[in-house]
Amino acid sequence: MIEWLTTTNHKKIGTMYIVATLAFFIVAGALAGMIRLQLSHPNNTIVGTHEYNQIFTMHGTAMIFLVIAPFAIGLANFLIPLQIGAPDMAFPRLNATGLWLFVVGGLTVFAGFATYGGAAAAGWSNYAPLSEITIGTGAGEDLYLIGLTLTGISNILTAVNFIVTIVCYRAPGMTFWRMPIFTWEMVATSILILMAFPALTAVMAMVLIDRHMGGHFFDPASGGNPILYQHLFWFFGHPEVYIMILPYFGVVAEIIATFSRKPVFGYVGMVLSAFAIAGLSLGVWAHHMFTTGAVSNPFFSGISFLIAIPTGVKFVNWIGTMWKGSIEFSTAMLLCIGFLLNFLLGGITGVMIASPPLDYMAHDSYFIVQHFHYTLGGGSLFALFAALFFYFPKIFGVKLDERLGKWFAALFFLGFNVTFIPMGFAGLEGMARRVSTYPDVAHLALLNGLSSIGTAIIAISVILFFINVVISCLKREPVGDNPWGGYSLEWLTSSPPPEFNFHELPPIRSKLPAWDLMEERGISRV
Amino acid sequence: MKTFVAFFAGSAIFGVVTGVAYWLIAHEEATGTVLLGCMAAALAFTAAYAVIAEKNADLPGDDPQETPERAAGEALGIFTTHSAWPILVAISSLAMLVGMLWSPLIGFSGLAALLLCLWRLGAESARV
Repeated sequence: MIEWLTTTNHKKIGTMYIVATLAFFIVAGALAGMIRLQLSHPNNTIVGTHEYNQIFTMHGTAMIFLVIAPFAIGLANFLIPLQIGAPDMAFPRLNATGLWLFVVGGLTVFAGFATYGGAAAAGWSNYAPLSEITIGTGAGEDLYLIGLTLTGISNILTAVNFIVTIVCYRAPGMTFWRMPIFTWEMVATSILILMAFPALTAVMAMVLIDRHMGGHFFDPASGGNPILYQHLFWFFGHPEVYIMILPYFGVVAEIIATFSRKPVFGYVGMVLSAFAIAGLSLGVWAHHMFTTGAVSNPFFSGISFLIAIPTGVKFVNWIGTMWKGSIEFSTAMLLCIGFLLNFLLGGITGVMIASPPLDYMAHDSYFIVQHFHYTLGGGSLFALFAALFFYFPKIFGVKLDERLGKWFAALFFLGFNVTFIPMGFAGLEGMARRVSTYPDVAHLALLNGLSSIGTAIIAISVILFFINVVISCLKREPVGDNPWGGYSLEWLTSSPPPEFNFHELPPIRSKLPAWDLMEERGISRV
Repeated sequence: MKTFVAFFAGSAIFGVVTGVAYWLIAHEEATGTVLLGCMAAALAFTAAYAVIAEKNADLPGDDPQETPERAAGEALGIFTTHSAWPILVAISSLAMLVGMLWSPLIGFSGLAALLLCLWRLGAESARV
């Protein structure tokens, strides 16, 4: 126990991130289940309005701050030194500090449930002045602000560590243009974190000052400006969407290339598009504020449309990688195909609401809920599970059962689409987000009922996933160094790797060191 | 390393261009210009540092022909395996923030503990 609590080894830190995020995922998933139970019928009163506000706030917060983004950070912690041939991260103690700030921050956010008045209830965006009203959002709101401040600092420390490690600790011959796509995506993500997270930390501190120290940053009655909150929050919030998706773009590229038995198609385009997305994402924050009437809609609409171009480049790259490949439909690959289909829908609906007239109609409706769930659930979450299936042997030395995995992938895909397709239609029929119940009008009962059934299917699939983990870990069938036939450096060390990663490094002569070695030894990729 | 400098420099230029474009299109709304200006300044600062650092950098990872055999013997530094201070930094940070709101005693204790942890962490890092 002490060994794990005090470790500074990047693999153990990465593993703890992953385990912690999965634990938070279970809680966040249970909260999603409660939301869908409440909305399964019109005029339901299973939970009260205030409880419902806490549930959806904590569901969104947990998924964004404690699951999807930090899982990628955990995975990167584990993988980056392996992929570039380094013995550890550049600053191991800083790395451990980042982990513990994240864990303590996450638990602090959830501790709000144990306080009088309950957890934070102002939505994951925590808009002021709503979050500054003390009644009903008492200690839980403060714990939320403190917890997110700590996780924000954790992200900043970790991003610095990633950049320094990648710049300074690449193995001999591992030039930038030979790095795996995942590592490249983490460079772009780290820069985004450094640009975006200070705004979040600042705005959380400003809300705390308003709440406890007589500040009036966001109080219009005293000369404050609530729009300032939205600017600062979304200057963080929109890049955060890409902080949650860019690493998974990398994961998908790695998996598709491995199971297509082909190098990544358009490697340079893939890298440049990641930076284009990262850069543009810093200039679109106020497309969340079109309806305030206080921002330049043409500017933010234009840049939002532009993001579709580099994202389209990535789709071309993924499809091009599969094209004429010798595709193996493993669970990870199936989840990546699910990712492509779902993320495409998330992207298309994103382009739709980048247009201010359409956004005015869809704003704060279930159409938006559908859009961002297709992006972050159908996108990131599918890639997260794909990463678990793909890297599980490398991290834990155990391969997850493929038959159960394929059942999981099929049910997860089915459940996801049954849950979220109806939400788009419910939104178009006028259903507002963040309401604890709705009247029995139009097709809302049918659409919400379908969504709730879909959520039950997702729950079954996730339970199946964890059963798979338990069964596979109990069986403990040994795996080789490179069970999938991967191409990057991490597949040339044991599973799990030794303490400082490599007993011996191979010469690195291309982007595909493991395949180079296989070719040298006359081993077929297929 | 040159690639990395180019990416940071490119990002800084992008930040300046976006900031200026925003100011021209929406100058009546100052917050966005300030945010983009700060972003551009931060990226420019990093790019400037990277340009200076690049001059003295001789990284084996930058040489496409370098091999592990040829680079053998180069000191990468000592990588610590354990430290108790990171988890204590996290706990004392929480105590400081919680205390600031509800209990000055806990707040000051947390601050003192945080300073102690950072001092010990620094001392430990200087040793190994």
